[in-house]
Amino acid sequence: MRLSARKVWDRAFTASALFAVALMTVFLLLVIVPIFGKGLGAYVFMGTVEHRRMMLNQFNRGDEAAVEAEWASAQESRKPIYAALAAFERELPALPAARRKELRPAYKAVREGLAVLLGPAPGEPLPALTRMIYGQTRWDRAQAKVADVLFEETWDYSEGSGKKVLVPRQPLFEGTALAPVFPLLEKELRSLLRPRLTFYARFLTDNSLDAHYFGGIGPEVAGTVYLALGAMLIAVPLGIIAAVYFQEYAKGGPVMTFLRSCVNTLAGVPSVVFGLFGLAFFINTLHVSPSKSVLAGALTLALLVLPTVIRSSEEAIAAVPRAYKEGALALGAGQWRTILTVILPAALPGILTGIVISMGRAAGETAPIIFTAVVSVGKLVRPAELLSQPTPALSWNLYNLCTEHEAVDEIRHVQYGMAATLVLIVLVLNLAAILIRARVAKRLKG
Amino acid sequence: MSETVNQSRNAHVEAQAFSVFYGKHEAVRKVDLAVPAGLVTAIIGPSGCGKSTFLRAINRMNDLIPGCRAEGRLTLDGQDVYGGDVDTAVLRRRIGMVFQKPNPFPKSIYDNVAYGPRLHNSLSKTALDDLVEESLRGAALWDEVKDRLGKNALGLSGGQAQRLCLARALAVKPEMLLMDEPTSALDPKATARIEDLIVQLKGRYTIAIVTHNMQQAARVSDMTAFFYEGDLVEFDATKDLFTRPREKRTEDYITGRFG
Amino acid sequence: MILTSGERARRRILGAAGRLLLFAVTSVAALAVLAIIFFIARDAWPFFRDKGVAEFFFSKAWYPSHQPPQFGAAAIFAGSFLVTGAAVLLAVPPGVLAALCMSDVLPFNVRQVLKPVIEMLAAIPSVVYGFFALTVVAPFLQDAGSWLPGTFEIASGVNALTASVILGVMALPTIVSVSEDALQAAGRELREGSYALGATRAETLVKVVLPASISGIFSAVLLGVMRALGETMVVWMASGNAAQIPKPWYNLLQPVRTLTATIAGDMGEADQMTGSAHYHVLFAMGLCLLLFSFACNLAGEWIVSRQRKRLRGG
Repeated sequence: MRLSARKVWDRAFTASALFAVALMTVFLLLVIVPIFGKGLGAYVFMGTVEHRRMMLNQFNRGDEAAVEAEWASAQESRKPIYAALAAFERELPALPAARRKELRPAYKAVREGLAVLLGPAPGEPLPALTRMIYGQTRWDRAQAKVADVLFEETWDYSEGSGKKVLVPRQPLFEGTALAPVFPLLEKELRSLLRPRLTFYARFLTDNSLDAHYFGGIGPEVAGTVYLALGAMLIAVPLGIIAAVYFQEYAKGGPVMTFLRSCVNTLAGVPSVVFGLFGLAFFINTLHVSPSKSVLAGALTLALLVLPTVIRSSEEAIAAVPRAYKEGALALGAGQWRTILTVILPAALPGILTGIVISMGRAAGETAPIIFTAVVSVGKLVRPAELLSQPTPALSWNLYNLCTEHEAVDEIRHVQYGMAATLVLIVLVLNLAAILIRARVAKRLKG
Repeated sequence: MSETVNQSRNAHVEAQAFSVFYGKHEAVRKVDLAVPAGLVTAIIGPSGCGKSTFLRAINRMNDLIPGCRAEGRLTLDGQDVYGGDVDTAVLRRRIGMVFQKPNPFPKSIYDNVAYGPRLHNSLSKTALDDLVEESLRGAALWDEVKDRLGKNALGLSGGQAQRLCLARALAVKPEMLLMDEPTSALDPKATARIEDLIVQLKGRYTIAIVTHNMQQAARVSDMTAFFYEGDLVEFDATKDLFTRPREKRTEDYITGRFG
Repeated sequence: MILTSGERARRRILGAAGRLLLFAVTSVAALAVLAIIFFIARDAWPFFRDKGVAEFFFSKAWYPSHQPPQFGAAAIFAGSFLVTGAAVLLAVPPGVLAALCMSDVLPFNVRQVLKPVIEMLAAIPSVVYGFFALTVVAPFLQDAGSWLPGTFEIASGVNALTASVILGVMALPTIVSVSEDALQAAGRELREGSYALGATRAETLVKVVLPASISGIFSAVLLGVMRALGETMVVWMASGNAAQIPKPWYNLLQPVRTLTATIAGDMGEADQMTGSAHYHVLFAMGLCLLLFSFACNLAGEWIVSRQRKRLRGG
């Protein structure tokens, strides 16, 4: 090949290699940025007067006097709407039958849409479902819901395949008492709902209400923390002891090779199979708990992270300079004492790195805990119940909320909040591990 | 102070006030040296004196080390090796290199030798076969491997592997051979074979060999350059440098007082 | 410091007891895998004993809730392999290229920054990837169906392609870091030998370094395969969960179902199900997954031992 052609290939190769790296970084950003961006929206958002009312009634939070005053003022702003509704109800029977037939379904839709937007009309009995007691608590959802009142969704089949079209309702009600409601909604929504910048830091710790319509993700966060901590509590002693044995006591030979193989194989087991094992062994055979429980989940997760703990501990122990060990032994320390007082402390940062990373893994896993530990709806698990009760968890409930929930689109912000919280926990743990490792490297370089 | 020596032969490689820096550290300090064509020039000196760095500067292998830069002038046949229009791929084809540790590729013996020619030329199969045989003969390896050219080169002994690396370098038909302590990883018998080869190859190639073994320098080389802490201390005909060194430092080194 | 014979004996006994204790604990940790095989097989056996293997592996009729129930999992196996294969095909070229870039192209500082990036990519929980697939990729793909010309119609954004792409992204970090280790291990001398002969960087990397590291890269790919095959949440959320083989088989734009998603999805009501044939067939699927991951492990170890033999000069 001519030299010029070879140079072109070289340049093309370098370009494609750089492109691959850029692609990776872009993927990371693509996944993380929207999740954090929208996840922040669960904690910081424009909350309406409905939100503050709900917080006061359901969570006993907020300045009662101020909320009451605001509520009264908001109701004042809403009076024209309900007056128009009442007037329309009165004039409806007087309209010609054809017009009535035309207007009735639309009126029903408008009334229901207003209830969703603003809450039950004054004078109406309080609904049983908590989610219907209040109007839209978030300004972004309110703006979406107001469209349901102002427009009707129809299908336009004129071009062959159906296209969704939004038809304004106002012209339909032209001339009736209801007509002024529409421009009022369009222009005065702010005074009807009083949106204000809200910092809902307690989203992290609050219980959820009515299938996550309101409230926070406290039980899920607690569940994730319990499971991760529980898994580490079991895996760390087992893992460190195994690592010490492999590095300091084992003398090669078939048994050691076999045990090592086992650990390597354990690392390759798919996560859902761990879940099956947890179900078949911990719950159905050992009966560690009547059915699902945090204990069973922690045991299962412990097995999942055990190979990682063993591997990183082994690496850390192997990296301790032999001179340390020989120095201690030469001073008369027994093998066990040398391990405890010299080797393990020196290996501690490396072991810690492995622990922290494994904890992140345990927090993020879903499949092992589906059959062993989690429920979709649940209250915060009390410490006394850890051994026998299942728990919500961020990973499982995120799945549940975005697939099986009955109102997936209504609680998008909760899903993003869960996802962001989970990713934050995992990334913080990983960052901690990276920092520990960097400090160790710096210390070793002197 | 470095000295220039009048040569009866042309200078194949000439260094003028040539320095190599690793970051701020000047590993080769303003060296003036003319390597004569067709002869074997040994470069000796204690560890860290810059001899390997100087050698690797000739075929710009130092470019691969981040933070390494050269100043001054280093020419091959009068052309500045560090000039802006110099293509390292072409340069390194004209200069072959054998390293301290034999580094055969994990390919067959044939493919090792054919690697260079395949990059630069398009030869027919028979032409390539001939070239491989010629190069292996030139490295005195042909008889030992002619029946197993397809075998993996990693199975060769250390001495054989080093001769393979030499054959590999010869296959691209360079003008000059650079050898960086080529026998320090080999046993005495293998070392002797390489030294014989060097003597054989002289004349057809200009050879520069870095060695910390002074007896080797005395055995194979025509000219010897003594480096100390980055400076070229003395450059003379080998016989003269070893029997009547002009500089005190040279004398101290060759009599073993340090290094 | 002379010990009495009593003290000596006591020390020896304590030492031996301590060692035994350590050995016992280590064995527990190591033998967990044997326990897993045993208990999964034990709960899978009743299915094979009662229903045999023919229907399970060769029939596409998966109707576990019918009367009588049908357990033909061929389409589900196909789904797992299709999605895994596509994910690996998507991830290996950019993964190996990125590894080459990191080992030989990028300066040291940039590489040190990239390593954490890769670790973070690997650390993101799979359910979050699934969530991303559902909320970003699936709608995008569905909209793309309307403005992309061509014969492929995209009925739904959740299909084999979405799942494969996300799985590929998940397998990337593994492939990149293990490949990079293998490329580094090839060594500086090898690269220098090639450069000294006048090769360009691309030639050196492709003709010398890559072949020298090929077994390490193969291990990386194998690990990527294991990761993709064993992944549950992403496929459960983003593959469409239709137990069918796409027509034609390479049409990734149709929904498929994988073994892992079936286990996770159907076992959800495990409390009520223990002991039924449906329960056992899911364990049968788990057993197949387990055996396949063992096979991959063995293949990986065989490659490593072969490489070691080669380097010694075989």
